[in-house]
Amino acid sequence: MKIGIPRALGYYNYYPFWFGFFGSLGIEIVLSDKTTKKLVSDGSALVVSETCLPVKIYMGHVLNLLEKKGVDIIYSPSIQSIDHKIYNCSKLRGLPDLVRNVVKKDFLLIEPTLDKSEKNQGLYQYLYESVAPLGITDKKAIKKASKVGWAYQNNFTGMTRDGMHPIEAMETAIKGKVIIKSRKNNYPINIAVLAHGYNLYDNHVSMNIFKKLENLGVKAHVSESLSTEQMNEGLKVLNTNLYWANELEISGAAGSFMTNKNIDGILTLTAFGCGPDSLMVERITRYAKRLQKPLLNLTVDEHTGEAGFITRIEAFTDMLYRKKRANIVQNLNKQIKIDSDRQEVVYSRDTIVKV
Amino acid sequence: MQAEDNNIKANKERIVAFPQMGNIRIPVAAVLKAMGANLYLSPDNNKEALSLGTRHSTETVCLPYKLNLGNYIQALEGGANVLLMFSAPGTCRLGNYAKMAEAKLKELGYEFEFIVFDMYKGKFVEIVKKFSQATGNKSIPNAIKGIKLGLAKFDALDAIERKLFYLRPREIESGTAEKIYLSGRRSIDRADTVEEVKNAIQSTLDKYNSVKIDNNKEILKVHLMGEFFVLLDPFTNMNIEKELGLLGVEVERTIMLSDWTNQTLVPKWNKKTETHRQRAVRTAKKYLTRAVGGECIETVGDAVYAAECNVDGVVHVGPFNCIPEIVSQCILPNVSKQENIPVISLLMDEQTGKAGMVTRIEAFVDLIRRQRKVRKTRIIQRKTMKNSLKTHSRVRIASR
Repeated sequence: MKIGIPRALGYYNYYPFWFGFFGSLGIEIVLSDKTTKKLVSDGSALVVSETCLPVKIYMGHVLNLLEKKGVDIIYSPSIQSIDHKIYNCSKLRGLPDLVRNVVKKDFLLIEPTLDKSEKNQGLYQYLYESVAPLGITDKKAIKKASKVGWAYQNNFTGMTRDGMHPIEAMETAIKGKVIIKSRKNNYPINIAVLAHGYNLYDNHVSMNIFKKLENLGVKAHVSESLSTEQMNEGLKVLNTNLYWANELEISGAAGSFMTNKNIDGILTLTAFGCGPDSLMVERITRYAKRLQKPLLNLTVDEHTGEAGFITRIEAFTDMLYRKKRANIVQNLNKQIKIDSDRQEVVYSRDTIVKV
Repeated sequence: MQAEDNNIKANKERIVAFPQMGNIRIPVAAVLKAMGANLYLSPDNNKEALSLGTRHSTETVCLPYKLNLGNYIQALEGGANVLLMFSAPGTCRLGNYAKMAEAKLKELGYEFEFIVFDMYKGKFVEIVKKFSQATGNKSIPNAIKGIKLGLAKFDALDAIERKLFYLRPREIESGTAEKIYLSGRRSIDRADTVEEVKNAIQSTLDKYNSVKIDNNKEILKVHLMGEFFVLLDPFTNMNIEKELGLLGVEVERTIMLSDWTNQTLVPKWNKKTETHRQRAVRTAKKYLTRAVGGECIETVGDAVYAAECNVDGVVHVGPFNCIPEIVSQCILPNVSKQENIPVISLLMDEQTGKAGMVTRIEAFVDLIRRQRKVRKTRIIQRKTMKNSLKTHSRVRIASR
């Protein structure tokens, strides 16, 4: 049995879990190709133009699975809420409904719902709905498979917390390995890059931002390297409560990084038309001003050119370098002044003694 | 004694203001006045409020927030110092707006008290409590009296507005019904007791009877649906009901103010008929199986319901960049195709020009008028076909 999972949205956060879960139930996963320009334009043709980029890309991946990969079962979950009354954005909540109405092809859509605000819509119900259409209804086997899934997911989380790039961590976790490397922070500039996983780790959307930063001598820190506690602390820094299901990875991480002295600047990457992000970024901007952290907000959509993107990142890092240099020079000057003051004192004493 | 005096003084200095949305000012003002509050009545939504709001908010925030912020700034400039706002979970970005507006206004240097109707904590009790907090009113009978008057005004406004929707496309001299409606609205605004409200309705309905209507005119019927704020605020939707009415289209708006108050305020066990939402969940099932926040499921459900009612078309309005309405906008073409009903989506933002919108509506009305003709001629053709078949068979029988 084969099911198709689009390489978009939830894939970047939950794929190791799905891999373990479906694998242990004997279901093979077929992933769509990596995002390309054609895939994006195919997807955008299906939905209205105001829809945000990630959803357009998701539709493109669904088409890719159906047309190129020969899959006729698509797995498209709806994550309604992750905690009591902590809801997701409407487009993610109604994702399977969107797929059903927009993709006019013959296929089986598996559309489980996870809704922690309702009584009977928790994780196991969600998992049951995930495999029941495939004929697997043994609840014990599902529970067992879920444990396998969590093992993979935990390995993945462990590696990302350690600072590994999430895509690399995902590949390692799927092989069943855990690699913890020792890392030395030798970069002159540290930037926190804040974005949802599906924007940041999709190289077509983020235009290889990690490589670009690396070439500029910048170390990029991401929210995946923070623990939930740190991000919750971060929310308190921004003086807000959790409202969106995926608010922690932006607002929470921003708060945490803003109070971190080793971080020189913050870069947010949002998709145009993202409702939650527009509000989160507004708040982050306000607090960045107060806490005096340099901030660059980049908005991407399907028309964003790479040249403009690079220029803005370069200008931002240049500014950070200059600021850091100025700081160092200032500190040195202070040091020199202190030293020279001390010498003068010593000198004057000497003279007194001489006199 | 002195403490009491101080209290009264403090109350006297409190001037309450609330954001505007179409007719909602009349009943809400009635409730607040009955509870003894000093009111700052900001003007109906206008261009100035919009440009003020747009200047002080992020670009991609939706139109309702920009207008609310503009209202607040105008009110604070006008001397208000207590602001009211709603906040509800699981809807859309609305839940964030109270906090955002407060932070922004504080940043602009205003001093005020911000009272948020937090719908996380139950509904009716919270509303009474927060109204009391805003007005400094301590007597519960006064509060109940005020809320009763407010609800009566909600119903009254709807009653006269519904009749207006019926008369507007049919009247011979256009604009007469509108005048009567406006004077009726004023008298409802002025009424101080439930009795007076009832009289106001009656006199307005009597006046409506004098409007001359053209009974032979062919009237198209359209359901107007979409996002709550845009639907109810004539400034934001550019008075789309009037434009449609002048084109000879009878409008039925799927959300009326009183429906909404009944839905939110009346407890679940006391509801006798199917509420709007329940109906929408039932009819939308084929297209949308889960509530996704905002009015998305209502929009999709209403479109299906409109097809069931055999109306001529559906006009869908919403603010630009509204998350739930984007979802419904993606789903509606499919509904339109499967249920065979024409749908037009109009999304408003601060840049939308009236002329362009009117052109689109005109084209849409032309299309549905033509479709109606086609449908009618088809029915006539079918009938004549049947008749001719019948006569044929009769002839045959006779010839035998």
